[in-house]
Amino acid sequence: MQVDLQQNYFELFGLPVDFQIDEDLMHDNHQKLQSAFHPDRFVNGTDQEKRLAVQKAAWINEAYEILKDPVKRARYMLEVGGLHLNDDHETTGDTAFLMEQIELREEMDQCRSCSDPMRCCDHITNKLDQRSKEYSADFEAFYQQGYMEDARQVSKKMQFVQRILEQIDEYQLELEDDIN
Amino acid sequence: MALLQISEPGQTTAPHQRNYAAGIDLGTTNSLVAIKRSGQVETLPDEHGNHLLPSVVHYAEEDILVGHTAHELQAADPLNTLSSVKRIMGRGIEDLSSLGNALPFDFKASADSHVPRIKTRQKHVSAIEVSAEILKTLAHRAEQTLGDELSGVVITVPAYFDDAQRQATRDAARLAGLNVYRLLNEPTAAAVAYGLDQNSDGVIAIYDLGGGTFDISILRLNKGVFEVLATGGNSSLGGDDMDHAIGEWIMQQAGLGDIDSILLRQILIASRKAKEELTHDSQAHIEIDHEQLKVSLILERATFDELIADLVKKTLMSCRRVLRDAKLDKKDITNVVMVGGSTRVPLVIEKVGEFFGCKPLTDLDPDRVVAIGAALQADVLAGNKPEQDMLLLDVLPLSLCIETMGGLSEKIIARNTPIPVARAQEFTTFKDGQTAMAIHVVQGERELVSDCRSLAHFELRGIPPMTAGAARIKVTYQVDADGLMSVTAEEESSGVKADITIKPSYGLTDNEIETMLRDSMSHAKEDIDARMLAEQKVEAKRVIEAVDSALSQDGHDLLNEDEYAQIVSARNQLEEMIEKSTTEELKKAIKDLENSSEEYVARRMNESVQKVLSGKNIDQVDV
Ligand SMILES: Nc1ncnc2c1ncn2[C@@H]1O[C@H](COP(=O)(O)OP(=O)(O)O)[C@@H](O)[C@H]1O
Ligand SMILES: [Mg+2]
Repeated sequence: MQVDLQQNYFELFGLPVDFQIDEDLMHDNHQKLQSAFHPDRFVNGTDQEKRLAVQKAAWINEAYEILKDPVKRARYMLEVGGLHLNDDHETTGDTAFLMEQIELREEMDQCRSCSDPMRCCDHITNKLDQRSKEYSADFEAFYQQGYMEDARQVSKKMQFVQRILEQIDEYQLELEDDIN
Repeated sequence: MALLQISEPGQTTAPHQRNYAAGIDLGTTNSLVAIKRSGQVETLPDEHGNHLLPSVVHYAEEDILVGHTAHELQAADPLNTLSSVKRIMGRGIEDLSSLGNALPFDFKASADSHVPRIKTRQKHVSAIEVSAEILKTLAHRAEQTLGDELSGVVITVPAYFDDAQRQATRDAARLAGLNVYRLLNEPTAAAVAYGLDQNSDGVIAIYDLGGGTFDISILRLNKGVFEVLATGGNSSLGGDDMDHAIGEWIMQQAGLGDIDSILLRQILIASRKAKEELTHDSQAHIEIDHEQLKVSLILERATFDELIADLVKKTLMSCRRVLRDAKLDKKDITNVVMVGGSTRVPLVIEKVGEFFGCKPLTDLDPDRVVAIGAALQADVLAGNKPEQDMLLLDVLPLSLCIETMGGLSEKIIARNTPIPVARAQEFTTFKDGQTAMAIHVVQGERELVSDCRSLAHFELRGIPPMTAGAARIKVTYQVDADGLMSVTAEEESSGVKADITIKPSYGLTDNEIETMLRDSMSHAKEDIDARMLAEQKVEAKRVIEAVDSALSQDGHDLLNEDEYAQIVSARNQLEEMIEKSTTEELKKAIKDLENSSEEYVARRMNESVQKVLSGKNIDQVDV
């Protein structure tokens, strides 16, 4: 459908283009937007209205998904800022960071042989959560000062951390499957 | 609030007409219907005062019996008395073997359909038709009570239901002649029943342990908006497993090994009785009098608790998982709502309370809470609540994926993504002049396509022929508010839309439904055609009214003269045709008007986005 492409997701949600977002306002505005456009509001409307409402509500949700998630939000901000991102060809040259990633992965492997793997996973998760907080702060600082290339590097690290978190998640799911 | 329809504050466009709506809990074991009348929501009883309708349908030589009367015939005539068909909704013939002897029916695969039929003395029926009978009975009950026709219903489904199961439920409603406002997830319905009752904002967990399934959902409640944050569970875990655990204990006590299925059934019935007794008593007496086994045992609550400890633990693992998906901690949960018959078990209440660190809410009848929530939502959707402050935002329960090389699945939309949702993907052709391609869509979390649920094969045709790799085909997967998926495709450089043929893996085709509809109605073909024409006329008038009202509001602001004239011309064309056209001609004229106003409607929507956030309240927005 034709959506207002001039409008970016931040504007749609009435938020400034800023990494630190007012989460309460975001949730509130998401609800306001959905209250106006959700298909439930058109159950007695024409078929066209119903169809468009689904598309509009989907678009609002798409924006919500991106704004809500710090990693997606960071990537989106870089795009709004004019950077073309190509996920397949991006690497990080930061060796210290890479070393840490390898350590974390090893720790994760050790989890598999430890007596309480669930707790072990939680431990790594906490560590990673701490890391992502630091990276988020870095990203914000770089972005605000217009150091887009640095911001992009940090966003890359944020993505790495998220990927490991997802792997831990996956592993926990396996553990659950084993028990169930 | 309609998109095109505008009513100024204080000005009514039409004399207010009350729309009657009902909420239906279409359960595995029992079903219910509830309505809202004079501010009160109530489940409706039959003429004997029974609120629960056993989800059982008996096919006699000519008649079809539903509910208690059917249930009574089950022992005598098991093969013609169908129960628990919810378990086979949206399932294929090969899935049925996994249900084992739980459903003792005579299943038939048919050559020209993907939906298994059950052989009864009257005819071969699908689970969809059986469910339609249950829905008809409940809708009839509501209409009798209201003394009027229902304008629409909300039907509940388990949150974990996949696309095929949801589609089957929708098809059943269509066969029953019901207008479905919405398929609502059972836990969301329960949250509505509690939320509105308690009027408390916060994050709540809905723990639903039924006969054969376990569902856990986390919702955020904020000023009448119920936002599902994550949902999960286990579709083969429930009260039946507790019965089996007791059954095994009995056999162990009696030193029994292999037994026949009749004795097993007796043991399970006794087990279930004991289990339910233990809800109130600290011990239960088990008596079995069978030629192979005569026992009199006492089962202590403590022993029972040990027997089911693992099962309860499994449910808590799912709770942990869903919290993680919602990115929340246990202590963020302000309330835990208990739903489903098996949450009456004291150990369940105790362990769930321990896990979340708060006392679970059990004050609403777990059998009725889902129907009550559905009725509340149905009433809002019917438009009876002008302030319309309640809104339910759900998520996709299982990831949507497509099949890629080597039988692997590639995630397109992850589970727990808020719906409606749309995602696009770009493909290209790999042969010169290629004009068709196929996409296999599955649902599930596993890596191998064979471990996921197959939903449908989509065949795209009509791609403009180009050299290999030149075509850019954008395929859009969309999931609506019911959790139902659709696919569209377009070649981007030419803007040509591909024709799509859907081959549902486990669903009825449109033709099959049409045939069933015709079979199920005693009317002649002419009657059905007349009804379809009447429906198109209503839709045509609705569209014209909507366009008129929009144009008078802002037509000249948002459209240039040409655009305006074009819409008016299509509108006049449609109006002229209403009384003298066939159904097909009308459909086309409506489509034409829709096409010419598409851009206008989109502009209006974009305009209104601004107003929504500019502090005005929603009722004031001219959408
Ligand atoms: N008092 C009770 N104590 C323990 N279990 C009960 C009690 N009453 C009903 N149940 C169990 O609840 C299950 C049915 O729950 P229900 O929510 O109706 O299931 P479903 O939604 O799957 O049809 C059955 O396993 C039944 O034995
Ligand atoms: Mg239930």
